[in-house]
Amino acid sequence: MSVTDLPRFDMVHPESLEALCTLIHEEKERPGGVAMLAGGTDLMVEIAQTGSRSGPLPLVVDISRMAPLRGISFDAGRLRIGAATTYLEIERSGLVQQHAPLLCRMGQDVGGPTIQARGTLGGNLATSSPAADGVAAIAAYDPVIVLRSVRGERQLPLAELQTGYKQSSRAVDEVIVAVECDPPPVGSPWIWRKVGTRLAQAISKVAMGGVAVVDEGRISRFGLALASVAPVTCLMSATRAYVLENELSAVSTAGLDAAVERDVAPIDDIRSTRDYRVHCSRAVVRAFLRQLGASV
Amino acid sequence: MDGAAKVLGTAQYVDDLSAKDGELHGATVRSAVARGRIRGIAFDEAFDWSGVTRVTAKDVPENIVQLIVDDQPVLADTVIHHVYEPIVLLACEDRAKLADACAAVTIDVEPLDAVLDIASSLAAKTVVSGEDNVQTRYLITKGAADSEDSETKIDEALAACEVVVTGEYSSHHQEQLYIETQGMLAWWDEAGVHVTGSLQCPYYVHKGFKRAFGLEGDAIHVTQAVTGGGFGGKEEYPTIIALHAALLAKKSGRHVRMIYDRTEDIQATTKRHPAACEISTGCDRDGRLRVLKMRAVFDAGAYVTLTPVVLSRGVLHAGGAYSWQDARIEGLSVTTNTPPNGAFRGFGAPQTIWAIERHLDRVARELGRDPAELKRQNLLVEGDTTATGQVLRGSVGGEECADKAFASSDYFAKRAAGPVIEGRKARGIGASLFMHGGGFTGSGERMLKGRVAVDLQAGGRLLIRSGSTDIGQGTETVFSQIAADAAGIDVSQVSFAVPSTTTVPDSGPTVASRTVMVVGAIVEQAAAAVAAQVRAAGRDDESWVDAADRLLAEHGELSVLKQYEPPSWVDWDETTYKGDAYPVYAWSCDIAEVEVDLDTFEVRVLQFWTAADVGKAINPVMCRGQLEGGALQAIGWALSEDIVWRDGHILNPRMTNYIVPTALDAPRFETILVECPYPHGPGGGAKGIGELPMDGGAPAVAAAIEHATGVSMDHLPLLPERLLLASMAGTTSQGAI
Amino acid sequence: MRVELLVNGQERVVEMPPMVRLLDVLRGQLGLIGAKEGCGEGECGTCTVMLDGEPVNACLVAIGQCNGREIITVEGLAEGEHLTPLQQCMADHGGAQCGICTPGMLIAAEALLRRERSPSDEQIRAAVAGNICRCTGYQRIVISIQEAAAARREQSEGPR
Repeated sequence: MSVTDLPRFDMVHPESLEALCTLIHEEKERPGGVAMLAGGTDLMVEIAQTGSRSGPLPLVVDISRMAPLRGISFDAGRLRIGAATTYLEIERSGLVQQHAPLLCRMGQDVGGPTIQARGTLGGNLATSSPAADGVAAIAAYDPVIVLRSVRGERQLPLAELQTGYKQSSRAVDEVIVAVECDPPPVGSPWIWRKVGTRLAQAISKVAMGGVAVVDEGRISRFGLALASVAPVTCLMSATRAYVLENELSAVSTAGLDAAVERDVAPIDDIRSTRDYRVHCSRAVVRAFLRQLGASV
Repeated sequence: MDGAAKVLGTAQYVDDLSAKDGELHGATVRSAVARGRIRGIAFDEAFDWSGVTRVTAKDVPENIVQLIVDDQPVLADTVIHHVYEPIVLLACEDRAKLADACAAVTIDVEPLDAVLDIASSLAAKTVVSGEDNVQTRYLITKGAADSEDSETKIDEALAACEVVVTGEYSSHHQEQLYIETQGMLAWWDEAGVHVTGSLQCPYYVHKGFKRAFGLEGDAIHVTQAVTGGGFGGKEEYPTIIALHAALLAKKSGRHVRMIYDRTEDIQATTKRHPAACEISTGCDRDGRLRVLKMRAVFDAGAYVTLTPVVLSRGVLHAGGAYSWQDARIEGLSVTTNTPPNGAFRGFGAPQTIWAIERHLDRVARELGRDPAELKRQNLLVEGDTTATGQVLRGSVGGEECADKAFASSDYFAKRAAGPVIEGRKARGIGASLFMHGGGFTGSGERMLKGRVAVDLQAGGRLLIRSGSTDIGQGTETVFSQIAADAAGIDVSQVSFAVPSTTTVPDSGPTVASRTVMVVGAIVEQAAAAVAAQVRAAGRDDESWVDAADRLLAEHGELSVLKQYEPPSWVDWDETTYKGDAYPVYAWSCDIAEVEVDLDTFEVRVLQFWTAADVGKAINPVMCRGQLEGGALQAIGWALSEDIVWRDGHILNPRMTNYIVPTALDAPRFETILVECPYPHGPGGGAKGIGELPMDGGAPAVAAAIEHATGVSMDHLPLLPERLLLASMAGTTSQGAI
Repeated sequence: MRVELLVNGQERVVEMPPMVRLLDVLRGQLGLIGAKEGCGEGECGTCTVMLDGEPVNACLVAIGQCNGREIITVEGLAEGEHLTPLQQCMADHGGAQCGICTPGMLIAAEALLRRERSPSDEQIRAAVAGNICRCTGYQRIVISIQEAAAARREQSEGPR
């Protein structure tokens, strides 16, 4: 695909979620596949950058304005964000500001304003890039991903959706409908920390989302995820376990660092180095624990 | 002025010009190896080549890009010297078919060993140019080193000093990253060849066409379109893309437009030369600098391009803004199999100034002195001599700049208080002092003979005709102000002709901080001369407009052509590198205040003070804009901009991973204009300042990082990854870590 | 695909393959050259236009996604040759040097000023953070936008 291929693509605009599911099911054997297009911040860039015109083209399905995929709601303790909701809408949502402020703060760090106006959480989940800020942020809330197909709806925890570097367990005829999570009580501590190549228009070298509930010197709920330090969004299981198993006063720098080092497996790439990412991973996690009252 | 068109969105850059009937898009097929021999070019027979124009080296009448040395072909013929060497040109009306056509060309290359950096080029185990890969050498000697045996003598002088300090400093490629990529539109008709596009120097392109096509000058029509930034990047390269478009246009008989996409632009066009410098200095224990020994090696890339001139400016600024009793400065440029490096704002000076400024920071550390105070103590003042023996005759504003910048930033109090540490963040402050020569080096302006015409037009208007272009730096506005003031009329009565070689004289290139200071001076003279004629002819109580119109009616036309003459005292010896390297210098003191995250080594420049001696600010808003914009380019070079290489290929030829600062990354600027007028400058003494602000940003930032963290960096860029490594290696002097 | 658009207040209909970029439609069919292509991947912001009131990169928007939507380009800011306060301030305070980023910068700034009467320095910088300028160092742009905000406040409040 190259930018000169653009005139050759077809695009469809499904009328309903059912129609969408039927369409992507019927087209699942299509040689070029189906490309669901929301904000275009991945697909349009990929087309422009590939430059090679060989191979069949995908069928483009415009889902950017499909009502069932959009919007934010909060009901019975559960926050639901439609997959095609833009980062700008997330940033400006009063519900998100109240219940998951980390997501609002993260939203400001996604690209720049023009990217925030187009980019979506569903798009970042669909491409399954470990560098996605939005996924690391929502991952701190231990969300479930709502998927829909002709076979019906299913819900997957993030760990089961992301199976490898830009790999996911989403079937080719499944669409990500929404992300749902049960945020901690209003006012609970949280952190968003992005170490990027610059302060805007940056892909993260390391980014971290974290939420916690602290009860009498002990952390009773702890959500933590890092971007760009592993083939998938890093859910930091060893670190979570270490923090939950210890009184805050017993959390040590050495213990915490060791747990972080077990969790992360970064690489050298165009943006940064493995060593720097390991170092920053330790540093940002320590910063969160300091915020929670640990002496690290 | 042109400002209205730009904010209305109606300004026409080359990609905005309406397409002509049958116009073709042009594309370039390039090498894929860093060095090799072309065995053959195959055009896939299965591809339908109808409607596709193909050009190879054999279509070029004289296959040479006219520059200093005849080493660069317009299209590679037999040998490939870098990965992005152009080999085949294609044009087609249909973009998609053009892309397919490019994919249907196969270039068969026998790969050869390549040399990819300064160290391996100097080692010369593989020789890729000349006898030893060295292109150019310069030697500047002063005092004790003024001897056949200059190296021994300078070593002796060093040995006699109370304190001797040695260090090595290096700097890296930088991409101009003008936001408008390079582009050209070309066509041929009975008048000859026409090219219109994004460029700084219409007469460079003109010369290039004379050479490659063997045309007479009046058959070549080079016109500047509105140009979206240059910074040196559109000095010499536009000749190549213009020739390419014109070759396709000639063969196809159509209009051909070539617009590079961002990736091709970053890959193929020139960048700032990387440089490696070794410095030894000797000084008294009280900080008085005495002896400088320096060797600077510049990486030219695959061809010579403008490298000798860049290197020359580099060595001429290598001693910094300081007084040296004995000096030996050696400059070398070497060939590597990387895309040719070329002009970029600062033109060699930022590289050597980075080195000398960092070195003096090191000297200060050895002496236990504040570096800015040490530098201030040794600043050149009026009557001092530079490393080339030039006596500074006036307009020497270094001390005033330093003192104003120190005061405005509260530098000494902040330095004395030590880094401000809050949580895991440390704030520090650092300074650099520097100067930048205005105009062409040495006898350059004398040879160049830049010319400008001012025409009287109906209604008493003046038209400036000059080959100096506006590439965003404000030539049009500032020239109009200069002419209006010289003529005593309102600036709205002055127009600036579109620079076209058909209609404007050769003012010399739009480079070298020379546009306002040198060309502006003859704009002033020409406008004054026209006005004098109008006023001399004017009758009592006759208005300017009436007198002008009557004079025009009587004479048919009235135009004054002026040619630049440098001040008569300018005396430069090109062979010994002695004398007046530049008629005058602009001076500056930069101060950066940074905040460093002690965990991640992210660096933010919070505030940036510049006090710059500009001679005279003709348009203070634009003058500040130049100083601030240049400073941010310097900050970007220091902190984030980095070309990443592998086997001669650029791994990050995109704006997503060549990282220039955004509005959030940019500091608040406090810009102080110091005016020590240059008697030969226009508008009451303006000096050239276009390049000055590129020179001092990087060392000021490095000094501030050192103040904040104790980590002392000698090699650019100051990426967080490198700062982390340096901090772990313990290259720290003091501070927070 | 037939696409109906409201461009700078005018209803326009284009017949276009759906994945053609909005940027190409604007610069081609619609003859609006203000938005530029600086990178083609949403990094530089020179193609910024307003889509239903929000600044977006026209290089990342497929025309097939635009049916029934409102687009404002730099050409839609002024009335004829009459500059808006924002445009005037950008010209007067040195916010435009080479001018190539200016159309996108103006759209980003306009979107901000429609939302914020008195934006802070930091808000302005965040609002134009997707628009790369290589000439100015941004300070003149920030000043231009601040001055424009003041001029708009004065305009809406009237003379005191």
